[in-house]
Amino acid sequence: MKIPKVAFFDFTSCEGCQVEIANFDQDLLKLLQVVEVVEFREIMKETCSEPLDIAFIEGSFSREKDRERLQKIRQRANLVVAYGSCAATGGINALKNHKPDYKYKVEVYGADATMPHLETQKALPISAAIPVDLAIPGCPVNRQEFVRLVSDLLHGKAPTIPNYPVCMECKKKENICRYELQDTCLGVVARAGCGALCPSNGIPCEACRGFVDNPNLDSLVELLIKTGMQPAYAMAKARMFTANLVEE
Amino acid sequence: MRLLFLQKEELEPFVSRLIAWQEVVGPKAKKNRFVFDKLESPAELRLDYDTTILPPKKYFFQPQQDLIRFSPEGFTGCIEPKPRIIFGVHPYDIKAISMLDYLFSDGKKDWNYLANRQAATIVGINVHQVFKTAFFESMGASIVTKGYDLFLTDIGEEGFVVEVATDKGEALLAYGHFTQVTPDQAQKRRKILYGQSDRCSQKLFNLPEEVSEKVALSFYHPIWEEMASRCFSCGACNLVCPTCYCFDVQDMWNLDQESGIRFRTWDGCLTEDFAKVTVQGGTENFRQDRSSRYRHRIMRKAVYLNSKLGGPACVGCGRCASACPADLANPVPVLNKIMEG
Repeated sequence: MKIPKVAFFDFTSCEGCQVEIANFDQDLLKLLQVVEVVEFREIMKETCSEPLDIAFIEGSFSREKDRERLQKIRQRANLVVAYGSCAATGGINALKNHKPDYKYKVEVYGADATMPHLETQKALPISAAIPVDLAIPGCPVNRQEFVRLVSDLLHGKAPTIPNYPVCMECKKKENICRYELQDTCLGVVARAGCGALCPSNGIPCEACRGFVDNPNLDSLVELLIKTGMQPAYAMAKARMFTANLVEE
Repeated sequence: MRLLFLQKEELEPFVSRLIAWQEVVGPKAKKNRFVFDKLESPAELRLDYDTTILPPKKYFFQPQQDLIRFSPEGFTGCIEPKPRIIFGVHPYDIKAISMLDYLFSDGKKDWNYLANRQAATIVGINVHQVFKTAFFESMGASIVTKGYDLFLTDIGEEGFVVEVATDKGEALLAYGHFTQVTPDQAQKRRKILYGQSDRCSQKLFNLPEEVSEKVALSFYHPIWEEMASRCFSCGACNLVCPTCYCFDVQDMWNLDQESGIRFRTWDGCLTEDFAKVTVQGGTENFRQDRSSRYRHRIMRKAVYLNSKLGGPACVGCGRCASACPADLANPVPVLNKIMEG
C-alpha cells in the first residue's frame, strides 16, 4: 500500500479532537509509519498546498467565509473525513442555533464581541458546505474508533459506525443503569461507539456522538419528565449536543 | 442421585480452596445489584442474590469475543478456553445455559462457545430471594434436573445438601469437607426445591404451550404497535437475556494496517440495523418498524424456537423487564393480554 498523505484542518471547534489524536503516545509513532502527515496545526508548524489522500476536518461550519477554504480542501483531497461532533453534526456549537438573541457573545468576549472573526451564522456540520466521505462523531473523537474507521477507508471497506444506543454498550459492561440509580441519561437514544465511557465512570450520557438514526425523542422527553425534570429542561437536555438533530 | 452434606461453616473453606485451585466466579454485590464476577475471597460470594445484571452466559459467549487473528502470513483461531467454576447459578439460568448449549451445537458446532462452555464447572444454588420482575415459575424454570455439575440446596442454619451430578462436580468434592446426608436433611431439600410455589410476583395465566399456540396467531394484534410506541430500540432487553444468542461479526485492522482481528459482539434484534441487509447494491430493512422488532423478540421467546427447544426460549428471569428504560419489555403483561383477547 502506498503511504497516504494526510492533513488535519480545524474550523469552529476547541481543537480538542486534534489534541486527542496527538495524545496517541507510542501509537502515534506507529501511525506515522503508515500515513504521512503533511499538516497538523496542533503538532507541527509546516503547512501544505499539495494534493492529499485524506483531509481530516475538525470543527463546524459556522462562517460563510469559511466555505471557500473548505472547498479548496475538498478540491485537493481524495477523501474528506469530518471528525469530531462539531464537524459531524455541528456538535455543541449548534446550541446557539436555537438562540435568536445571541447575547452570550458579549458576555464571553466583552468589548471584543464586535471583532470581524466572531461574526458567525448557524453552526452546521461540514457536510453543509462540502461533500464529506465519512463523518466520525464524538466529543472528543474516540481514538480507537478513529483508527478503526480510517483503516477501513484505507482498505476500501465501508466504515461502520454503530446505529444502536449507548445502552447496548452499558449492558455489555454490566453497568447499573443510571435510571435505576434515580439519575437521568441520554444513552437510550445516543449513538454508541464510545464504549459507554461516561456511564461506566458514574455520570450520565450526554449524547455527545449525536443520536441514532431514528431516536424516539417523544419517549425520551416522557422518560426525563418522569424522573422529575421540567419539560423545558428535558427538551434542552435532549439537545445539548444534538441541536441540529432536534426540531424546535 | 448422589447427595452429600456441607455444613454452613464449611462453605467458606470449600470456596477458599476452590479459589486457590481455579478461577471461581460467583454472584457479587455491585451497588444495589449483583453481578457474576471473579471471587478473590469467599466473603464476596452472595448466595442470597436475587439475580445478576447479566446472565452467566457471558463466560461462554462473551460480549465481545475474538474469532481469528489475521496477518499477511495467514490466520489463527482464538479459542483459548480457561477452566472456570461458576459458583451459585440459579435454576432458571441453568436452564437457559442448557438451551444455549443446544442452540450453539445445532447444525455446525460453534466451538468459540462450546470450548468455553466445556471448560466450565457449574455449581447451582436454589433461589433465596426472588427478583422483583421474575416469573420463572410460569416458565417451568424453578426446578432443573440437569445442566449443572453440583447443585447446592440451602436448607437453613445447618448447611447445604449437595447433589453431585457429574464427574466434573465429583472433582470438586476433594476441596471441601462433605459428610453423608441424613434422611431429614434430604427431606428438607425436597421441600425447598419442590414444595415452594407462588414466590414470583409476575405470573402467566396460561401454560407456555397454550401461550405459544395463541401468540403464533397474533401477528397482527394491535398490542405490538401499542407497546412499541415508547420503545427506544435500545436492545437492553436482548443483551441481558440469558437465551439471546445473536451476534455481529466485524474485522478490525491493527495500527500496522497489515494484521488484525475478526471478532464477534452481542447484537440485539430490537436495534434498528439488526435486520438491515444489502440487496442489489442498496439496503433493505425487513424489520423497519419498532413494532415489528418488538413483536419479533416476543415471538422468538414465546413461539419461534419452541419446536427446537421443546418449550419457550424464555426462563422467566425477569432481567428484560427490569433493564428496559421505557418499562415495556416485560413479556408477562403482553402475553397475558393476548391470551385474554
